Amino acid sequence: MAAVESRDCPVIRALTFDVLGLIKAIQSSYASTSPKIVETWGHPDSSNSILSASLNDSKFNPLLAVARKNGHIELVNPLNGDIHSSRIIENGVEDPIVALHLFKKDPTDSLSRECTLVTCTRKGNAALRSLEVDKTPSEDSTCNDSVTTWNVCSSGEVLCSAVHGNESQALFGGKGVEVNLWDLETRSKTWSSKAPPKSSLGIFTPTCFTAATFLNKEDHHKIVAGTDNHQVRLYDISAQRRPVISVDFREAPIKAVTEDIDGHTIYIGTGSGDLASIDIRTGKLLGCFLGKCSGSIRSIVRHPEIPLIVSVGLDRYLRVWDVKTRQLLSAVFLKQHLTNVVIDSNFSDLGTTGIAVDALSDEAQLNQNEVDASPPVKRKKGDKKLKSKKKSKKIVEEEDD
Amino acid sequence: MGGKRKNGEDDNNDIEEKEEGSVNKKREILPSLIKNKQKRSAVHAKVKHEKKREKKKKSKAREAAERRALELGEEPPVKAIPRTIENTREVDETVCMPDDQELFAGNDADEFSSILKQESAPKILITTCRFNSSRGPAFISELLSVIPNAHYYKRGTYDLKKIVEYANNKDFTSIIVVHTNRREPDALLVMSLPDGPTAHFKLSNLVLRKNIKNHGNPTSHKPELVLNNFTTRLGHRIGRMIQSLFPQDPNFRGRRVVTFHNQRDFIFFRHHRYVFDSKESKGTKAKDTKGENTLQGNVVARLQECGPRFTLKLTSLQHGTFDTKGGEYEWVHKPEMDTSRRRFFL
Repeated sequence: MAAVESRDCPVIRALTFDVLGLIKAIQSSYASTSPKIVETWGHPDSSNSILSASLNDSKFNPLLAVARKNGHIELVNPLNGDIHSSRIIENGVEDPIVALHLFKKDPTDSLSRECTLVTCTRKGNAALRSLEVDKTPSEDSTCNDSVTTWNVCSSGEVLCSAVHGNESQALFGGKGVEVNLWDLETRSKTWSSKAPPKSSLGIFTPTCFTAATFLNKEDHHKIVAGTDNHQVRLYDISAQRRPVISVDFREAPIKAVTEDIDGHTIYIGTGSGDLASIDIRTGKLLGCFLGKCSGSIRSIVRHPEIPLIVSVGLDRYLRVWDVKTRQLLSAVFLKQHLTNVVIDSNFSDLGTTGIAVDALSDEAQLNQNEVDASPPVKRKKGDKKLKSKKKSKKIVEEEDD
Repeated sequence: MGGKRKNGEDDNNDIEEKEEGSVNKKREILPSLIKNKQKRSAVHAKVKHEKKREKKKKSKAREAAERRALELGEEPPVKAIPRTIENTREVDETVCMPDDQELFAGNDADEFSSILKQESAPKILITTCRFNSSRGPAFISELLSVIPNAHYYKRGTYDLKKIVEYANNKDFTSIIVVHTNRREPDALLVMSLPDGPTAHFKLSNLVLRKNIKNHGNPTSHKPELVLNNFTTRLGHRIGRMIQSLFPQDPNFRGRRVVTFHNQRDFIFFRHHRYVFDSKESKGTKAKDTKGENTLQGNVVARLQECGPRFTLKLTSLQHGTFDTKGGEYEWVHKPEMDTSRRRFFL
């Protein structure tokens, strides 16, 4: 542990959400490099358990949306924890919300005190809600909200969802639900994946997607999904409905998938606490993040500027990792099972570390350029098959000898 | 470790002496430098014997000092505390503090709180792995006598997930699966229902009741439960899980006590009964106040073991009920955790 603390952690601020409904703010200041809990908001109660959270990370008026187990959606100020408004969703307890995304506001109409969220429940009822942000927490009311709902899937359970960076596309996937891509403006399904064919033994594995994300901020054509069957798949909408690449990783279900800003590296977390990064263009494992991580990883977040990722999970720790060296920078014990984490990227320790952060981000960009310089290698499924055939041929030859 | 280091230091001293060219010829030769095995072992034996004598001398001197202090009515010299790997254990931030409000809130919200608050009574289903014979059934029959309100069900060829479903319908609160390998119980799966965690233990050193000398036979009273040294957050959770197997209102007339003692991540299980012997010849005082209340005269309290006796080691704690394929783990033992002997998780 002493070795961990000696490595200094850059200045970050993260918010974690746990099963008792507590929101904890963790930040590492310039003075003390190891991150600490600075604030705890909320009353501990198991019915308050936070299922999903989303942060609108703008410079002015940042806003945090939180979905709870008892069917509440709350809008929270991420700086001081004030609850701006709280809504009860119908059937919130029987049909809990699994995914929630808060739209980034346009900077032009920052005066309007409305925000839009897209939510999806376990049974596949997606909804686009626009809520009014009150400065004073009022009575739970749903009268002045405009809600448009639609159904994402007819059967099965939705387990994961992601909204693309331009906020016009959203994907949903789950147990018995293939990855669906929906246009949020017209609310129409634009694409859905197809289950991979039966294996050579005729075994068909039932669909179960446990994590999914868009690979790139700019185009929405590439989707990365993790399955219950410890597979990471890359889908290309413009190419085909079946996965372009699928990679096996260890033996536990993939519980978290997060994309890097460089557009080809992804970070995956499994149900038994393994964290790894994969270059999805080739499907090669870049390396594992080692560090006594013993519980299922629930959420991974990449810092938008500093090259580091933050992971939380059932082992009650928040861990900060260096992306380049894959070393553990620091770990914070937070006492509860953690479900989600978000990073407040605008945080800087009273401006004293602005320069350092900039330098780091420059470095990150440089590194990116280096990586981007290498031509992207795409390996299609056909290549793989060819290779395997060659291999089998070789083996046959050897046997003949 | 300490002993080894001491040896090393002695060796260094020897080398220094050698360099100085000391008079003592025998001291300077290390046994490991001698190539002839017979001579080497002879020298080694001599060194060992000398060390032993020195140690004896030291302890005698210590004893004498103590006795002298007693005679003179002075404060006896402070007893040295031996260094063990437990009292030099690595600093662990997850150790529970008694003044932690969040911990209590977490306890109130966890899966075992309804049983531990006595809102519902524990009801345990015990079953086995598919193939089960010899010591397995014997162990289960003893477990049935240890845990009140436990019911044995034949495993048959049912899937464990089906059994979980069945137990949920019948309002069981926990399932224990005894896994045997080569007719010897070697693993224990403790599952808390309906959605509680699943703990997987390695089971070793099983001694059944009939193999314990002077064993007693337990009564059907509800036992007392002793949980020792479950200190960390994970240990606390395991302790609560074990606690939820037993009824929370012990019957003190029954004088049965069940102990789960954690030491270096191994959980030792013992099952005893209190015995209060009334003896007239000896003038010893009864330590137990209960004994004094019930019996007149001089009473000696002692413990009588009534088996079984076994050791558990946690290998994983799974979130939710048994699910090997899609299950999430709260804690899994991984080989990279074993880089220090002084790191404990419970």
